[in-house]
Amino acid sequence: MISCVILERPGKWRTVGVAVLLLFAMLPAIPLLHHLLTSPSSVAPIMSGAYASALRHSLLLGGGVAAISFLVGLPLGVLAALYEFPARKILLALATLPLLVPSFLWTIGWSSLAARLGPVATNTISGFSGCVLVFSSGAIPIALLTSYAACMTLSGSQLDAARLAGADRCVFKNALRHATAPTLLAAWLGGILTLSDPGPGQILALSTAASELLTTFSAQYDFSLAARQCLILTAIVLALAAPLAYFAAPCIAREILARQSATRERIRKPKTAILISGAIALFILVGVVAPIVGLVTPIAHGNDISSALSELLRTATNTLVYAAGAGATAVIFGMFLAVFVGRNSRLRTACLGVSLTLFALPPAFLAIGIVRLAAEAPSWADPVLRSRLTVCLTLALRFFPVAAVLALRSWGSTSPSWALVGGLHGVSLPTYLRRVAFPLAVPAAGIGMLVVALLATADIGTVLLLHPPGQDSFPLAIFTVMANARESFVASLCLVYILAAGGFLTLVWMVAGGSR
Amino acid sequence: MLRNLSCVAVVCTFAVMGCDDKDGATGSKQVVIYTSVDDVFARPIAQRFEQETGIKVLLVPDTEETKSAGLLNRLIAEKNRPQADVFWSGDPVRAAILKTKGVSTPYPSSKAEGLPTRFSDPEGYWTGFSARARVLIYNRNLVPEGSVPKSIMDLLDSRFQGKACIANPLFGTTSMHAAALFAVLGESKAKEFFEGFTRNGGTILSSNGEVRRRVAAGEFAVGITDTDDANVARLEGKPVGIVYPDQDGMGTLIIPNCAVLIAGGPNPEAGRRFIDYLLEPKTERALAESDAAQMPLRSGVEVSGSVKRIGQLKSMAVDYAALGQLLDGLSKGYLKEWVDRNRR
Repeated sequence: MISCVILERPGKWRTVGVAVLLLFAMLPAIPLLHHLLTSPSSVAPIMSGAYASALRHSLLLGGGVAAISFLVGLPLGVLAALYEFPARKILLALATLPLLVPSFLWTIGWSSLAARLGPVATNTISGFSGCVLVFSSGAIPIALLTSYAACMTLSGSQLDAARLAGADRCVFKNALRHATAPTLLAAWLGGILTLSDPGPGQILALSTAASELLTTFSAQYDFSLAARQCLILTAIVLALAAPLAYFAAPCIAREILARQSATRERIRKPKTAILISGAIALFILVGVVAPIVGLVTPIAHGNDISSALSELLRTATNTLVYAAGAGATAVIFGMFLAVFVGRNSRLRTACLGVSLTLFALPPAFLAIGIVRLAAEAPSWADPVLRSRLTVCLTLALRFFPVAAVLALRSWGSTSPSWALVGGLHGVSLPTYLRRVAFPLAVPAAGIGMLVVALLATADIGTVLLLHPPGQDSFPLAIFTVMANARESFVASLCLVYILAAGGFLTLVWMVAGGSR
Repeated sequence: MLRNLSCVAVVCTFAVMGCDDKDGATGSKQVVIYTSVDDVFARPIAQRFEQETGIKVLLVPDTEETKSAGLLNRLIAEKNRPQADVFWSGDPVRAAILKTKGVSTPYPSSKAEGLPTRFSDPEGYWTGFSARARVLIYNRNLVPEGSVPKSIMDLLDSRFQGKACIANPLFGTTSMHAAALFAVLGESKAKEFFEGFTRNGGTILSSNGEVRRRVAAGEFAVGITDTDDANVARLEGKPVGIVYPDQDGMGTLIIPNCAVLIAGGPNPEAGRRFIDYLLEPKTERALAESDAAQMPLRSGVEVSGSVKRIGQLKSMAVDYAALGQLLDGLSKGYLKEWVDRNRR
């Protein structure tokens, strides 16, 4: 019998475990690295002119999006976790909707809306400001959910103690402090995510590093140059992520009290409740309703709802499998990573640094790497390299940093004395995991799975390049018809997608998030 | 309870994602088609082929609209063990790139009889059929009858100052159009066109679809796009007019679809049958009747009044097989530099 004490023991197995997992996470990037190492060209010319300017735009954009999502997401998440407020489940479900919608669709929604409002709106929406708006809509829910999940780990005893020390204000202040580190990391991830997404930059006429990479890759078919440009982007992200990871690593593991004596209850204050509902509703209005209006307005000229529904039915299974598969896999990776890291601050720093950097890699590169790998592999490897499993795994590896941050936070918040006491009483590792560790990890795992599943659903590039023939997802189906189909058909598809996504998210919040 | 349900859900998900449809990528009664033609136009043709032959079509569509890394890169990456049998390309440039990269194999189909040979590869690596054209689209509310543009050079005219738009010439059919201009006009005149366009306040948009939308919405008076885009705007009742440009000069650029057989595809026989089907007159007729309103390349195919016949147009005299190479140089040189200079 293996004792649960092992979970708190130091040893080389932790470093080995972390190294194996991180190497696995970097697997899709290996063909890219191979290209870099074998490419004869020099790096110098890349940093001149257009790419340097695009990099500057991208870094400003990423920084702006990270700052906005942190400033909005942190207080909203904390308030949503601490207080009861009207229409809670539906508001939170709607607030997470932008994660489910591919950024290019959101951009087109904004662009269409602006076109209807006139040239002033078009000018406002185009370029840098438009990109910040679109990307922030997607990054704020990541920060909000992380902040929410971080507060869920606070115990009733902690909140009671804070309340005794200085009323609700003190509770809020302490919860805010408790959620700051993971939310900062999540916001940073949201900012980094903008670096690899070319859609909004292309549509809103802002030259970004991702759009430069896309041009090199898709218009010039120069994989080597694109790989070198990608390396520069990744190196910059690593340089920026390293200090953040160093400072955030200790803060992310604040252990909670060993003994829990009270269940946490949400605070009921009518005035605050209205304020929270209003703030989330405002975000939904700006970040969700406005682009949706732009997307679905053409439906007034004729609807094709039945055709859109049949497209949804054709692709629903694959969409769900890709989302759930990616979410579950990423959470499992994240949890294993958290267990291996344990309370080792150095390993935690390394994990955070690598996770933040992995996010900057453009999905198309990773996917093309897998395609190349599959083409070189024998046919018996197809179930792993050319199947839905491939899509799920690649999406999971792409978005696993989100699950990793949440898992590291969740595991770091547990008290080491639990495992030590368990060991003293002869509790086995499986029993401890089942009875103690797993239940405590459920909120973080649930939210991690949800966020990764949402992000995976909205990722078009990976699915486009890796899905087995005939097994596309619904967002991909929208993507492939939107160019020349009638606007009313595209609008019907968008409406059906948004309604289905909104309904699904509400269901998730009602079933899984209702009591939490 | 919830925890148990979650565990069951996770186990089921892994089971499902590991079990692919056994009709997957290989098998005798199926064919895998990668296509850069829009799904709405390609899928009905694929379904008719299925009904007529009993061969299941696994369609993998893409679109140039949103500038994905795209199927072409997937095809190139899969070269050593391809999943696709056929690439149905929306233009000859991508087909020519596949030939250069050694991804395709020649297939001189017997069904190509009657199709003009100038729209196909002389060595049989790709065969052209139904075509789109590059047209001027203008907003009827903004452009009075007497000011309708007749040539793409009219975009440099002061009457369209700050009111003209084109899609990014590094991508899609606009890139092919740019290469064709360099081939037909020569380098200096083609550069004059691009420089004059921006001097006159012209705007680069992300795609032909955006050109269509923004001209139709009245944000721009005129733009260059493809016939299928323009026709969709017309069918939607937007106030747009369509002009086949340069009928008195260099002619209009014609962009044929191309059928490409992939070398070493898993179902070569079914792939050949699909290509044969694409090249038949009934496919040209179906594409002409679709919202894409594609022009048949054969003279005998019946079309409705809104679809031009290839014989009615003066088409631009270009060597399609050579455009790919020309575009390669331009994408890394002048066009890239021009886009960098003129986009924010």
